[in-house]
Amino acid sequence: MEVVGSLAPGGPFWIPLHGIVLLPVIAAALAFAFPRAWYQNILLGANGVLTLVAVLLFRQVRWGGSVVQSLAGWHIPVAITLRADQLSTPWVLLTAVFFTGAFLFSTRGTYRDKTFLFLFMVLEAAILGIFLSGDIFNIYVLMELGMLSIAILIMYKQEKQAVYDAMLYLMMNFIAMAFMLLGIGYLYRLTGVLDLQEIHLRLMDLDDPRAGLVPYALIMTAVALKSALLPLFGWLPRAHGAASAPAIVSAVLSGVQVKAGVYLLVRLGQVFQPLVEAELFFMVLGFLTSTAGFLLAIAQKDIKLILAYHTVSQVGLIVMGLNMGSQTAFWGGMYHMINHALFKGVLFLTAGIIIEEYGTRSYAEIRGVFRRMPALGIATIAGVLGITGAPFFNGSISKYFIHQGLQGSPAELGLYLINFGTILSFVKYSTILLGPPPATPPSPRDPYVATVSLLFGGACLAGGLFGSAAVELFFGPLIPAGGALAPEKIALFAATLVLALLTYRFLVCRMGEVLQAVRIFKFSFNQVTVFMTLFFAALLGYAYLVA
Amino acid sequence: MAFIESLTVADLAVALFFLGLYGAMTQRNIIKTIMSVGIMDVAAITFFMMVNHQSGARPPVSGAHPSEMADPLPQALMITAIVIGVSVVAMCLAMYMRVAYRYGTADWKILIRRLEK
Repeated sequence: MEVVGSLAPGGPFWIPLHGIVLLPVIAAALAFAFPRAWYQNILLGANGVLTLVAVLLFRQVRWGGSVVQSLAGWHIPVAITLRADQLSTPWVLLTAVFFTGAFLFSTRGTYRDKTFLFLFMVLEAAILGIFLSGDIFNIYVLMELGMLSIAILIMYKQEKQAVYDAMLYLMMNFIAMAFMLLGIGYLYRLTGVLDLQEIHLRLMDLDDPRAGLVPYALIMTAVALKSALLPLFGWLPRAHGAASAPAIVSAVLSGVQVKAGVYLLVRLGQVFQPLVEAELFFMVLGFLTSTAGFLLAIAQKDIKLILAYHTVSQVGLIVMGLNMGSQTAFWGGMYHMINHALFKGVLFLTAGIIIEEYGTRSYAEIRGVFRRMPALGIATIAGVLGITGAPFFNGSISKYFIHQGLQGSPAELGLYLINFGTILSFVKYSTILLGPPPATPPSPRDPYVATVSLLFGGACLAGGLFGSAAVELFFGPLIPAGGALAPEKIALFAATLVLALLTYRFLVCRMGEVLQAVRIFKFSFNQVTVFMTLFFAALLGYAYLVA
Repeated sequence: MAFIESLTVADLAVALFFLGLYGAMTQRNIIKTIMSVGIMDVAAITFFMMVNHQSGARPPVSGAHPSEMADPLPQALMITAIVIGVSVVAMCLAMYMRVAYRYGTADWKILIRRLEK
């Protein structure tokens, strides 16, 4: 497949790209002297400015060609570069919009003291930097920075086992980053540069192409852990579903931060493109990840953990789409990343508020959300319809594109299986909406929460109604999506839904003991490290086979 | 002996990296796993330092001829990596202290069992 978003530099762009990365940190640091209420509004304003800049950058890159800037005026292969191209600007825009939404959402949040807000902004800067950086060592540093701030954010309220979750998260990611650092060392020894584009060119000229396989396996192991692929996803439910993580942290982690991992999987995969074609490897892995994700999601009782394991499942589907070797499926996977940010964002945001309102996280004890909190109920339904791929919602479009990539091959059955699993686990999740609400008086309505939830939910619907146009706007290629609304697709969705309802009622509800066993089972730190080593060995072996 | 003499520091760094990985895979004591992970990080840094190493090279400051200057980039980058490594290990240890006070154990397996109660 052609290298996407490669670098025909367009015109100059008057805003320095490093300004976009530094703006959140500088704003958060300078305004730290102000009282909390002001601080919050200043940061919201900074995010608004950032969104505006991201829109300008997106416009420039989409219609004017990619923007490449070198820091400190050195010439390109030597300098540290920042690049904004077709592949990265949609995510810059998404990150800025998402963080603005998160800030607006929790305008009245009680847990938001100044340190929390500061770390949240640092995380935003790290994510933006990963998307904009054209230098592999900068990517490494920003990943470490993001990792540290996430570790503090998820244990922020220090409830229950939060510190343990954060420690496990930090140590697993630290091992992955050590792999990456060693891989960068190998790359630098081979090529003598750190600029991604230059590495790509020099790798093609190697005397012995196989020398590039060890750094490939080292770096990809780290990136696969960041994007939560099959044996390495153990950290994700702990971080995203952490009991003490506030709603906006869970939403941002699931909506944007995992996407940074998947983005690196694509971007760094393209750097090694002529050397290693590991598409089959990652496609099979994506399928296995997706299946394992929904099986574990069905077993959970905690609504946040259902959503967290579901992120694993959806990331698997995205990785599958990206590695099918078909253009339609590739853009389907990219579009599904945006869609997943929207619907998982709305689901995590509403889940956080629902948990606060009901004082429990168990899906069996939460009833009647729809009647008690109608706005959140509607937003949740929009999110659920989006994620299950219901007709007219955004998930249906991206899943349709991914299906196109596998048309006619037996692997298409795998996609039907994943879809069935998604619907099944969300049948379980949706039970919280129905039933009689508890008798206690509801807490006062928060207009910011309702507005942001409904906006994100509305975006799920808009992304479905204008699917083809949205893909063209964000990525460029025009792919007709009319087939997603064909009668047989709608009939298939309805049939899967009925089958899932029946399976839930007559099978899942009666397997309590099996589910209990799955739920209790957890891997210890040592086992996770063994998995990482095995993953590295498998990827290296596979790379030697195909190279 | 010829084998041992042919080993470079970079080879030893790779060996050290996998030694650290082995420790992280096998040790049940949390402190020892944190040490193992720290060793992996240091090994990766050592490996990076040895890239483009040439004996007899001079520090890249004024006065030296460019052809005999050492490559300054690995050193500049590894300062950053060392700082990051130190802060992450420090944070791991701080978190470990919280966990150890709360659950009274330094063993990953016993810790998991106590968490479930």
